[in-house]
Amino acid sequence: MTAPAGGSTRTAVWIVVPIAVVLSLLILLLATREPATERAINFELRGEIAPLIEGEGLDGVWFDIDDHSNQWVVVNFFSTTCVPCVREHPELVEFEARHAPLNDVVVVSVAFDDAAANIRAFFDDFGGDWPVISRDTGSIAVAYGVVAVPETYLVGPGGVIVEKLVGGVTADQLDGLILSAGGA
Amino acid sequence: MRPRVLSWLTLVVVSLSVLVFVAVDERSPATNADKAYALATEFACPVCQGQSVAESDVPVARTIRREIRVWVDEGRTDEFIRAQLVANFGEDIDYTPAASGVTSLVWILPVVVGAVALGGLAVVFRRWRDEPDRTANADDEAIVAAARRRR
Amino acid sequence: MSNSSLGAASVALGLAAAACAVVVVVMGLAGRRPGWFREARLLTWVMMFAATAAVVVMERALITRDFTVAFVAEHGSSQTPALFNVATLWSALEGSILLWTLVLCGYVVAVVLKFRTQGDDPMLAWALLTLFLVAGFFFALMVGPSAPFDRFAPPLGYDGPGPNPLLQNHILMAFHPPILYLGYVGFTVPFAFAIGALCTGRVGEGWLLATRRWTVMAWGYLTLGIVLGAWWSYETLGWGGYWAWDPVENASFLPWLTGTAFIHSVMVQERRGMLRVWNLSLVISTFALTILGTFITRSGVLQSVHAFVESGIGPWLLTFLAVIVIVSLGLIGWRGDELRAPGKIDSPVSREGAFLANNVLFAAFAFVVLLGTIFPLIVEAIDGRTISVGNPYFERMTMPIGFVLLFLMAIAPVLPWRKTTGEVLSDRLHWPAWIGAGSMVAAALLGARGWSPTLAFGLGGFAGGSALRQVVLATRRQGWRGLVGRTNGGMVVHLGVVLIAIAFAASNAYVRQGEFTMAVGDTAQISGHTLTYEGSRLTEYSNRTEKSARVLVDEAKVYEPAIAQYPFAGRTIGIPSVRSTWTDDIALSVLTFPEGSGDTVVLRATVQPLIVWLWIGGLVMAAGSVLAVVPGKRRRPTAPTSAPPTSHEVLL
Repeated sequence: MTAPAGGSTRTAVWIVVPIAVVLSLLILLLATREPATERAINFELRGEIAPLIEGEGLDGVWFDIDDHSNQWVVVNFFSTTCVPCVREHPELVEFEARHAPLNDVVVVSVAFDDAAANIRAFFDDFGGDWPVISRDTGSIAVAYGVVAVPETYLVGPGGVIVEKLVGGVTADQLDGLILSAGGA
Repeated sequence: MRPRVLSWLTLVVVSLSVLVFVAVDERSPATNADKAYALATEFACPVCQGQSVAESDVPVARTIRREIRVWVDEGRTDEFIRAQLVANFGEDIDYTPAASGVTSLVWILPVVVGAVALGGLAVVFRRWRDEPDRTANADDEAIVAAARRRR
Repeated sequence: MSNSSLGAASVALGLAAAACAVVVVVMGLAGRRPGWFREARLLTWVMMFAATAAVVVMERALITRDFTVAFVAEHGSSQTPALFNVATLWSALEGSILLWTLVLCGYVVAVVLKFRTQGDDPMLAWALLTLFLVAGFFFALMVGPSAPFDRFAPPLGYDGPGPNPLLQNHILMAFHPPILYLGYVGFTVPFAFAIGALCTGRVGEGWLLATRRWTVMAWGYLTLGIVLGAWWSYETLGWGGYWAWDPVENASFLPWLTGTAFIHSVMVQERRGMLRVWNLSLVISTFALTILGTFITRSGVLQSVHAFVESGIGPWLLTFLAVIVIVSLGLIGWRGDELRAPGKIDSPVSREGAFLANNVLFAAFAFVVLLGTIFPLIVEAIDGRTISVGNPYFERMTMPIGFVLLFLMAIAPVLPWRKTTGEVLSDRLHWPAWIGAGSMVAAALLGARGWSPTLAFGLGGFAGGSALRQVVLATRRQGWRGLVGRTNGGMVVHLGVVLIAIAFAASNAYVRQGEFTMAVGDTAQISGHTLTYEGSRLTEYSNRTEKSARVLVDEAKVYEPAIAQYPFAGRTIGIPSVRSTWTDDIALSVLTFPEGSGDTVVLRATVQPLIVWLWIGGLVMAAGSVLAVVPGKRRRPTAPTSAPPTSHEVLL
């Protein structure tokens, strides 16, 4: 801030130079920033123990992720109105069919901000035979830090989160991840 | 002059007692809904541009609002809720910059700059006070007199 | 000729005219062209013609839906209602720059007309040079990175998406951006004269007196623009808020803060000849901050609800900003010794002391807002973390400043210049202070609780009382003339500020919000109001489909908040329903109509007190600015401006 009283030429320089330095730094800072929309999404949970998922499935069977600590768990957050969710669904069906005989992987779908009736219709239409938790899923979504569906979390044996996939998955992608993480 | 002093005294007493009264007397304690709403305004909606969790209508904001409400109903502290959300969604969900590390600068800098400005003003005023008053000399008086005659 | 070629030709003409004008002025300054002013004046008219032609062509293209113009193809639509079709111009970057340029050319024409008799004044020459350079920059933007008249080959039956739905569903969108621009761009004029003063070394009061009306006018437009923007947010965004300390909002607020500091501190310089460097810095920062604000709005480096457009003009604006900063600081450094102020301030408790305090506070306010806005970028640059700075920070940091400013607003208008006595103060502040105390008592009786809003009411009443005292005294003395002129108009502005401060404190402290999931016939309670859901209905419009919820409030008023789907823009937005009364507002918005569960709705209701006074306060401030620009009582040129106060002055 400039001293209100002004001063001799020397004082003026003494005041102007630091301001110039600060402002140059500011402009440099603004010049070197990426646009906000291109910054990476947060992923805070890699390597952490997967937050608890438990609840009643569509079929009435109780699901608890802790019962599957010796398997890989694919946690899929989705909603029936989201287009990429509809698009990725056949891939999940395919992936589940590959692993059903081996019993090394379990897929669990968690509805995100959607009504149970819609979910039931969705699975009737598009197939898929695995636990689907549709009620009171807000806490689960918040615990995983889900921001926009579809989001898929790959949980390794032992319950540690290995990877987070955003915007749709494919069966091969999931298999590849499991393979590279040294599993199955 | 007496009545005016009395009036000012009354004014100070009235104002202070009103302030104390409104600060102490909580007529309706905040409900859980109010507490949850107030908290929701303190967090950024993770996918929106520049809207808080309280403001946005996207699913994730609604979900977080509901979860905050659940936590408030469970009687969790604000610190717990803040820590949970930061752990799950990242540091940038919190609209309040931490008062430690680099981010503490945002709190400290304005105070430092303000103190420097006030200090500068104090120095300047002191210098002004010590400076002798300029008095008009004969030439100045002549200029003024000439100007007045022209008017 | 097609609209594209006509428009592009106009822009090119404008750039050429600006370039010629720069050359003419430079030659004039070098003494090689005695008739330079006449030529510059002609070129100004050419620029004005070019900018007007470009805007007219663009509006014609928008109205006739000429999709061969890329801008129309990208932002226009045959489905957009007529009014918003015109407003589409400023709904996107290229059109905004076009509007900006037109406004700037208008200001340059006004300057040339106003100063037509002073064509041989080098200060005017330097000021015009600055104005032409700025105008040239904006024409160059339109030739380069932000070309509005690019061509597009529309396939058969092509229709555009229309402007962002949020920008075409409220009438305020037709007024808020142009008025904001009148404010933003208006600060170019005092800036140009400040540069002129620095270049000629005539850093006395001349440039201030020449531009003070321009500054007040620009400030008034900026104020009105910001208030209209807040009003628009409140009416359309559906979260019951009007100010969220969002980067783009802050960007418009920053020049307002420094501009406000400036219009106060100029009075010290006019009266006492002091604060020269400070005033120059303020007016230069105000202009620089308008450019920084445009950069923040347009570059997308900061997240914002208002950042509707991202584009490649960021580097251009930043370079321009750097040039402004370097040139201005260089000039101030160079002229340092001549800027030395002759006078001194005798006592901190005096009018000039109060103006000084006002300036320190506004500068601190601006610093806090700027720091908070760009701080996430600083942290990211230092250690790569992404953080946010929002509401809680700004509220905590600016609230104390706001309180002190209100207090200052209460005592400063009654302070005499130079020095004062306790007796004078006690005399003049007596009944304003009682108005303040009375407001607190009244607020407490009406149910206000919590110390900070109550203190805001008290200080607001105090400040309002003292502004009222000045207005009453002035009108008693001078009749209707007691309302016009800078001092008296300024007091009217103060009354508007008080209204806004009180409404802001009340709505912030006593807002109630609730979310309700309701089936038909359900009722809900919020803040003493009853909401009854009566069902939904679907309405088709030319450009959207609306699903609205019929909600009966207090068994009397029907609200119809809705969700609108814009198929062309591929977006869904909420359309809140807001009703104001003098005491409180109810705002309803539909969050969703959940599928598969019958006719239910998830509603959000926000109840806030005194909202309407924010807009009234804004209008009062704008009206006060108009009154301040009307010439008041003329001071004789020989009237003393920095002599010791006469007994007459002390008594007033």
